[in-house]
Order: sequence, then structure tokens, then C-alpha cells
Amino acid sequence: MDFTYTEEQKMIKEAARGFLEKACPNVEWYLDMDKDEKGFTPELWKGMAELGWMGIMFPEKYGGIGGSFLDLVVLLEEMGYAAVPGPFFSTVLLGGLTVLEAGTDAQKNDLLPKIAEGKCLLTLALTEAASMVYDPSFIETTAKAAGDNYIINGVKLFVPDANVSDVIIAAVRTSEATGDKDGISLFLVDSKTPGVKTTLLKTTSGDKLCEVIFDAVTVPKDKILGSLNGAGAVITRVLQYAVVGKCAEMLGGSQKVMEITVAYAKERVQFGKPIGVYQAVQHHCANQKMAIEGSTYITYKAAWMLCTGLPATRIVASAKAWGSEAYKKVAAIGHQIFGGTGYIVEHPMPIYSRRAKAAEYAYGNANYHRQVIASELGL
Amino acid sequence: MAWDFGISKEEEAYRQKVADFLDKELTEEIARQSWEDLGLDVEGRTFAKKLYAVGLMGWSWPVEYGGKGLPPIYDFILIDELGKRWGAHVPNDVAYTMVGHTILRRGSAEMKKEFIPQIIQGEIEFGLGYTEPEAGSDLANMKMTAVEDGDYYVINGQKTFNTESHYSEYHWLAVKTDTKVSAYKGISLFIVDQRAPGITIRPMITMSGERTNEIFYDDVKVPKNRLVGEKNKGFYYMMEALGSERNYVFVPSRYLPYLNMIVDYAKNTTFKGVPLAENPMVRDKIAQIAVEIDMSTLLADHARWMEWNHLSMTCEPEITKVFVSEMEQRMVDSAMQILDQFCQLKEGSKWAPLNGRMEWEFLHSFMTTIGAGTSEVGRTVIAQRGLGLPRG
Repeated sequence: MDFTYTEEQKMIKEAARGFLEKACPNVEWYLDMDKDEKGFTPELWKGMAELGWMGIMFPEKYGGIGGSFLDLVVLLEEMGYAAVPGPFFSTVLLGGLTVLEAGTDAQKNDLLPKIAEGKCLLTLALTEAASMVYDPSFIETTAKAAGDNYIINGVKLFVPDANVSDVIIAAVRTSEATGDKDGISLFLVDSKTPGVKTTLLKTTSGDKLCEVIFDAVTVPKDKILGSLNGAGAVITRVLQYAVVGKCAEMLGGSQKVMEITVAYAKERVQFGKPIGVYQAVQHHCANQKMAIEGSTYITYKAAWMLCTGLPATRIVASAKAWGSEAYKKVAAIGHQIFGGTGYIVEHPMPIYSRRAKAAEYAYGNANYHRQVIASELGL
Repeated sequence: MAWDFGISKEEEAYRQKVADFLDKELTEEIARQSWEDLGLDVEGRTFAKKLYAVGLMGWSWPVEYGGKGLPPIYDFILIDELGKRWGAHVPNDVAYTMVGHTILRRGSAEMKKEFIPQIIQGEIEFGLGYTEPEAGSDLANMKMTAVEDGDYYVINGQKTFNTESHYSEYHWLAVKTDTKVSAYKGISLFIVDQRAPGITIRPMITMSGERTNEIFYDDVKVPKNRLVGEKNKGFYYMMEALGSERNYVFVPSRYLPYLNMIVDYAKNTTFKGVPLAENPMVRDKIAQIAVEIDMSTLLADHARWMEWNHLSMTCEPEITKVFVSEMEQRMVDSAMQILDQFCQLKEGSKWAPLNGRMEWEFLHSFMTTIGAGTSEVGRTVIAQRGLGLPRG
């Protein structure tokens, strides 16, 4: 048993902290990114690519660094701490890891080096309006064979960063009926293909979630990612990465919230004393600390289990069931302690509490994951 | 150094040995004596000695006193395996998980030689003599005194909530040895023969049927060599032991039998023709219990890991304590909602579900956020020591 970062992970953390502090300079910048259609700047993206972040988990032969999922989790924790906007999560976790898990050699050779260099943005179009659960069985979007091509029809919702993606990986039904776990395939769809229509949704957090309409989109057969009808297991695996990755972001975000909250409680004076002297405030902060300690170990345990290949369904669900509520609670306490100050749009608190809300629902909220756990318990 | 949530091959081999033994030998009666703080009876005493005789006790204790000199993880494995089987804690647990460690740290060579082997062998138990009527959360406010008189100290005063004393051989007693200095600086620890003349033990029965005691000392003579460590350092010894004691006492595996119980109940009970296991609300509540047990386990593992790596613990065992004790109450409440009206039926009653265990646990769970320090004191510790918030 060991609860420590490796030396490399400590270096990743330190480098990320330093870079992101400069790259995301102040609240005004975040508010600009909220309003900006793309939600990030080319300099930010280029800087991240130069640090090798996009390829952190890709093998070296694909232009990556050859790190583990735990290394990526360390990085995501820092990204959550900085609340960094942009398409890293969608490009690397939803896109890159899906290609890495399912792609043919040719597909991997083509895409992974480009992703690692920051020259190709990806996302995964999975959820639909009628199937808000993260269960591929309920996918209704179809791809029908037509000669050497497939024709895709359907509407995908809450697709992160589809508006800036070069490639949209579409999870579609290629056989069987809705509700069936089999019969799902993944297609690498060039986002410029005629018939692909992306609409940016307006969100609480400023996250760039999109509706993507596939209207008779023609995709060549060789753009199937992995095997025909075989995407179910790949999606399950990628979602496990996404869930734990999101938990890591939430962990970092909640750490930042606690840090600024406790610092404020030590300096803000009311009734002649710093408010941090009062037990009501101390106990709020203690609740933040307890929630975050729990988030830390369950996030890293889930990541560790994914790395070791041990059965992880239960612990991954547990991590998100806990993390979703923990971040929300930590942020709510932060607002309570900052009082009116934290309610002002130029304050950092709203950046974090709005993101806590988005993260709570990403890749399954607590209710969803508790149902997964119930099934794992044999219920 | 790297994140790792597994245990080593050697540790797993020990765990398996313990598990095999307990599956055969740990009967419901023995487990209940421990779990329900009924006090160790003949069966419990015999079981404690048997644990030693088959070579499962003392792995984490120094070789010179009969141990194996291995890290504390072995004792934690032992406790966890007991907990999974309703065992709750090691028989003679005040001796084995609390007092023994302070004797090792602070006791004289003579004292260690006398007591540690007996503790490892499951021969003796201690009653914890800290709380007084005027010294609960404010422990330093104790009034009981020990006054030097030749080769002895003469002790007078009253303790309360001393749970193990009616069956223990010894009293682990904190008293004032200097009443003129500030509260923290005048307390000493003693080992007192619990049957010494002048001691009166009166039972106090709790709402869940456990026995605890109030204890009166009337000119009780204690030999000077039973002073633990240095005079007037007692409060410091008590505080330095606190984190480790929390690590041993708050054992998340204890809740697994409850989880398993309620899972089985939901699988095997139908309401309006539908198994409870298919009811989304029931599933949600049970899953949340499981999440919180996962969380308790990880918090405990982390704090224990800090202990056996000699890292300085500020608030980590306190976090485990506050979380686990409050989790226990939420668990009971959820489970009772699932049992509905049946939840109130006591063990032995017609129609009582789950052997009345959840009903008993309901009564018991009021203690968890109070005993060994209230949640309020705990949160203050976390805020001040863990986060550096100022004292008032």
C-alpha cells in the first residue's frame, strides 16, 4: 500500500501548476473563454502540446510519452485545480484513448501522433436525448451500409467541443435494436463532412457542449474505428477512463476551492476576529477537508485499479457517486464562507461552482452510478 | 514510491490464515461479547488465548516481547478480518490496540517486560480510566488526584464511562498529580490493579444494553513503579497516542456484515409482488451505504498507512473517526427505511428481520458520534490542526 505520487508525477504536477498559473491568468480571462465560441486560445493549446500533455498516455511509437493512466490523472487533477477550459479532455480522453483502445494500426499511426502534437482535435459523440444514461445499449443513431460507405443518421447531444473538433467519433447502431448491448460501432467522422451540423449549446459552466446532427452523412467503410458491431466494450472502457478523469478534475477543483476558502477565513475579520476562529466556519472547512480526503483516495484507487487491470466497475462508480456530490458540497461551502464577495461574477468562486455542476452530470451523475453499484452488489 | 492500494504477498498470506481461523472459531457468542461491549466472558477469554496459541497475535509487536517485529499492517489485517465477521475488535482490545502501545513508547523496561507479553498472549485487559463527570470533551479538567505517600501514591476521586473495568484486570488511569499547575501539565498515567482495595465499580447500562461503569477510588494505594513514564507527562502521552488509537478503534470493515445483510434482505423480500432489489430507491440507498463504506475504508487505510510509515498525523485519524461514526448513523437510517415497520422489531420478537441487528445498531449508533470525542470536537481538530485555522 502506498499513498504517494511517483517522482515523475510530482514533476508533472509542478510543471502543470506553473504553466497553468500563467496560461490562465485571471478571472477576466476565464470569463472571456466562457463567451468565446472555441473556449480556449491557440497559445494555451500550443503550450500544452509542447509540454507533451496530449500524448502523455500514448506509447512512444505514436509520438507519446508512454506514461500511465495514473500520470494522466495527476495532470487532470492540476487541470481541475486551474479550471482550465478547452478541448483537452475531449481530445485526449474521449478521442485519443478511444483510438488507442479500438483503432487499427493504421488508424493509430495516422491519428495518435497528430493528437500528441496538438494538431488534431477529437471528441466522442455518444449520448442522445432519449438515452441520457451513459449506456451504449440505448443508442438510436444508425449507420446503414451502402456499397463501400456507411450513411449515418441521428442526433447526438452533449458532445463536448464538437464545434472545434477535427474528428468526431460517432457511436452508432449498425445492427440489432435499441436496448441491445451489441450492434454498436464507432466511426471516425471528419467534422467537415457534408451533413454534419454542430450547434453550440449554452451551458452553466461555459463548457462547450454541442448538439451534433448527422443528416445522411456518408462515411467510408475504413473509417470504422475497431471492429464492426464491437464498440460496446470499448465504450465501457473509455467511459471508465472518462469517469475517473472527471473525478480527478473535480478533485483538483475542490482542492482549489478549499484553499481559497480557508485562506479567506483566516484573513476576513468580522466582530473583531478572523471568521476562521468561529466554530461554525471551522466546521464548514472541516467538512470540505473530509470530502476532499475521500475524493483523493477513491479517485486514485479507481485509477490504480484501471492501471492494474483489476475489475474496477464498482470502484469507478463509487468514485463518481462520491466525487459528484463532494465537489458540489465543497463549492457550496466555499460560497457560504465568502458570502456576498463570492457571488460576484469577477470572483473565482463562480468559476468553480459552475464547473462543479457541469462535472456532477458528466459521464453519469451520482444517482446513475449508485444504480451501477447496486447491480454490482447483486441487486 | 507510487500509488498502490494492494497488500503484499506476505500480508495476504497472513490475512488468509486469519480468515481461515476465524471462519472456524469465531462463534456468534464470542463476536457479540466484543461487538456489543458486553464484556469478555469465559468464551471470549478462551478465544483470545487461542488466537495467540495458533500464532495470529502479536505480529506487529517487538520480537523481545514475543512478537514478530513486523509493521502495524498485520494488526490492522487482524482487526479488519474480525470486523468482517461481526468480531468488531481484538478481544482485550484496550490492552492490545491502545494501552500496550503507550507502555511500549513510555513505560519502563520493567513495566514492558511485565505487561507486553501478557497483552500479546491475550491474558489481560485494561479499563480506560479517563472520563470524569466534569471532564468529558474537556478532559484536562479532571479532578481525581494521586498524592505521594512513601512508596505509594494514594488515589481518590471518581471516573465515569469506564467501559471495560468490570471484567478487566487493570485500570489505565489518568489522574492529577499536581493541582497547582495548568490542567495539561499536572496529569499522570497509572496502571492500577482493578480489584485493589478501595475501588468501587458500579454498572451504568446504556440504551443499547452495553455495560459501562462509574468507578470510585477511596484512598487506593498504588505502588510507585506503576506510574507510566514520567510524572506529570500523562496528558502528553494520552494525546500522542490519540491518532493511533483512532486508527485501531474505527474499523470500517465492521459495517460490511450490515451491508451484506441488507443486500440479502432486498434480494429476498418482495413488496407488492416486486423484489425490493428492483426498487430504484432501495437500490440507491443501499448503493450509498456501499459508497460510504468504500470511503471509510480508504480514509482508514490512508491514516493507518501514515502511521506505519511514521508520517506525522495531524487530522487524518480524526477524519476517519468523524466520517465513520456519522456514516454508521446514516447507514442505520437508510437500512431502517428499507425495513420499514419491521425495523422496530427487537431480536427475539416474532417477525424481527435480520435477527434484530439493525434495531440494536440503531440504539447503539447514538454513541458513535459521542464516544472517544464528539463530532464537534473532531471537526474543530480537523479545522485547526489540519487546515491551520486559528484557535478562538
